[in-house]
Amino acid sequence: MYPKLSLYIYAKYGMKILIIEDEKGLRESIEEYFTEAGNICETASDYTEAMAKVNVYRYDCILLDITLPGGNGIQILKDIKQNNYPDGVLIISARNSLDDRLEGLDLGADDYLVKPFHLSELRARVMAIIRRKSFSGNNILQFNELAIDLLAKSVKVKTQAVKLTRKEYALLLYFIANKGKVVSKNAIAEHLWGDGIDMANNFDFIYSHIKNLRKKLVEAGSHDYIQAAYGMGYKFTDQ
Amino acid sequence: MKLLTRYNRVTLATTVVVMLITGIVYYFFIHFILIRDVDKDLEVEENEVFEYARENNRLPQVFESNDQQISFYEAPAGSVQRRFLDTLYKLTPNPNHRHRHHGEHYESGRGLITSVSAGNQYYKVLIVKSTVETEDLVKVIFLITIGVILLLLLILFLINRLLLNRLWQPFHALLKELRMFNVADNKDIAQIDTSIEEFRELNQVVTSMSSRVKSDYKDLKTFTENASHELLTPIAVINSKLDTLLQTDNFSQQQSKLLSDLYGAVSRLTRLNQSLLLLVKIENHLLGSEQDINLKVAIEELVMQFDEIFQDKGLKVTCDLQDKMLLTNPYLVDVLLNNLLSNAIRHNHADGEIRIKLDGVKLSIQNTGENTALRSENLFRRFHKSASSEGNGLGLTISQQICENLGYDLRYDFITGLHIFTVIF
Repeated sequence: MYPKLSLYIYAKYGMKILIIEDEKGLRESIEEYFTEAGNICETASDYTEAMAKVNVYRYDCILLDITLPGGNGIQILKDIKQNNYPDGVLIISARNSLDDRLEGLDLGADDYLVKPFHLSELRARVMAIIRRKSFSGNNILQFNELAIDLLAKSVKVKTQAVKLTRKEYALLLYFIANKGKVVSKNAIAEHLWGDGIDMANNFDFIYSHIKNLRKKLVEAGSHDYIQAAYGMGYKFTDQ
Repeated sequence: MKLLTRYNRVTLATTVVVMLITGIVYYFFIHFILIRDVDKDLEVEENEVFEYARENNRLPQVFESNDQQISFYEAPAGSVQRRFLDTLYKLTPNPNHRHRHHGEHYESGRGLITSVSAGNQYYKVLIVKSTVETEDLVKVIFLITIGVILLLLLILFLINRLLLNRLWQPFHALLKELRMFNVADNKDIAQIDTSIEEFRELNQVVTSMSSRVKSDYKDLKTFTENASHELLTPIAVINSKLDTLLQTDNFSQQQSKLLSDLYGAVSRLTRLNQSLLLLVKIENHLLGSEQDINLKVAIEELVMQFDEIFQDKGLKVTCDLQDKMLLTNPYLVDVLLNNLLSNAIRHNHADGEIRIKLDGVKLSIQNTGENTALRSENLFRRFHKSASSEGNGLGLTISQQICENLGYDLRYDFITGLHIFTVIF
């Protein structure tokens, strides 16, 4: 068995990610978005390369495209599961059919994301997978003075409990997963309301949500981490 | 008018006319022949009179026999012209005669007026023969002819009815097949069992046409599917590049406006593309298996999901929901509910109202909005949308396709200022 990565290690040393995607533009964007201090991103652009890497190195999370030159991503997934590799697997696919999704999840993939997606959404999903994989008893996510109990879905600033609505809680997690990144309003809206959001071209109602979350956190004694970014989105940062 | 009726009308009318003409011609012809026979008899009689007068130089004795009468009249020499004529035959009471009437009676007869000289006296001779028998014969013949005509008509009529109905059977079967023809399903037009060449040919043409239509339709669908699939990757790249661009440093007001417009356009493109793919999938019945779901719970979850949007637009939402279990495709139901509710929000005015009612047989979603009814004939057409709509014009098409697919009925009504979409299970 491979040792499970603890949250501590992930926080300290960052995460190791393999991006298996044949489309160069997308691969580079993902790589760039995930690359930051402490993170290691590797890429594979076809089946053979992916297989070679998967069978040699271990990753916290593998982003797996289904349609690859030289083979099928599902086969790579099967290979990972057959060898009992502990890597988290997130399928990114253009095929949005329920059967594909179910097949992927049945085979042991941790999540399934349909193209096109926002990088912030991808990152939130990856973080969720890594958190699930590495918790082993510890279900507290710590960000400076913020402590989030992922099982109880409760938030504390230092010792002060903060009462958040379901959406505010989801929003906070989303921000923390994308800390230091500008997250677009579109991405936030789609994350919180799903595809049904298309009736609102202006996302003004997001503003009131953010305002509420910010107010609650600050009132409980937290720093104000949420910054508006050029009217297009928001950035959660401690810098 | 039905072909059979038309055909019957023409053939029967023609038959009647032809038969009538034949009957008339026949009648006159028979009549003519029989009268000629009688005339010959009269001439034989005339010769007998001539011979007798020549040999004996006196008139023969007149007696009645064989329905024939001869009478002599004195006449000035050369005043009589020989001719045949239709006349009357005077019946004398005769116990052997067919007509047992009292007093004098006449029946139709044929006469010959001629002349003879005997004993230096010139006589006019009138020989009359009864033609009753002849007339009777003609009448019988005529009646038989009419009888045959009527019988023939009846038989023709029956044959047309029975036989033609039978003959047209393959045609009607084919018609039924055509009526049930649907480009989207996989069923082919059935081969029709017939020995009639025309119908076989029709069947062949229809079958080949339908398979051609189907394959064209399939090509088109495959094209849509492939095109949408191929579009996904570049859209994904644009999306990710935009997200990456957003991370680079400070933007001016103008740049950020441009960026958000781009985001908006890309997200519309994404949605349009997903809608097209979804339509293809619904039409291909490619959407997973059925599950038991409680529609009430699904609606409540959705309403909760949309809560902030209701608040943002100031919409008042009232739900009147009863439990309703459905064994159906949860994904499709989700899309359907989402579409209908999105429409109710999108086409509402500020501080408007949405009413959701669910009972055992139907779900109705009612909303305020523009105060005129929508034109229902265009409502479910692809890419048909109101000028003010922000949607992609596929929402209702998808909703209707889903309803069709799940065996539900989707209806639109406009009653007292409320736009009402009803799903009938």
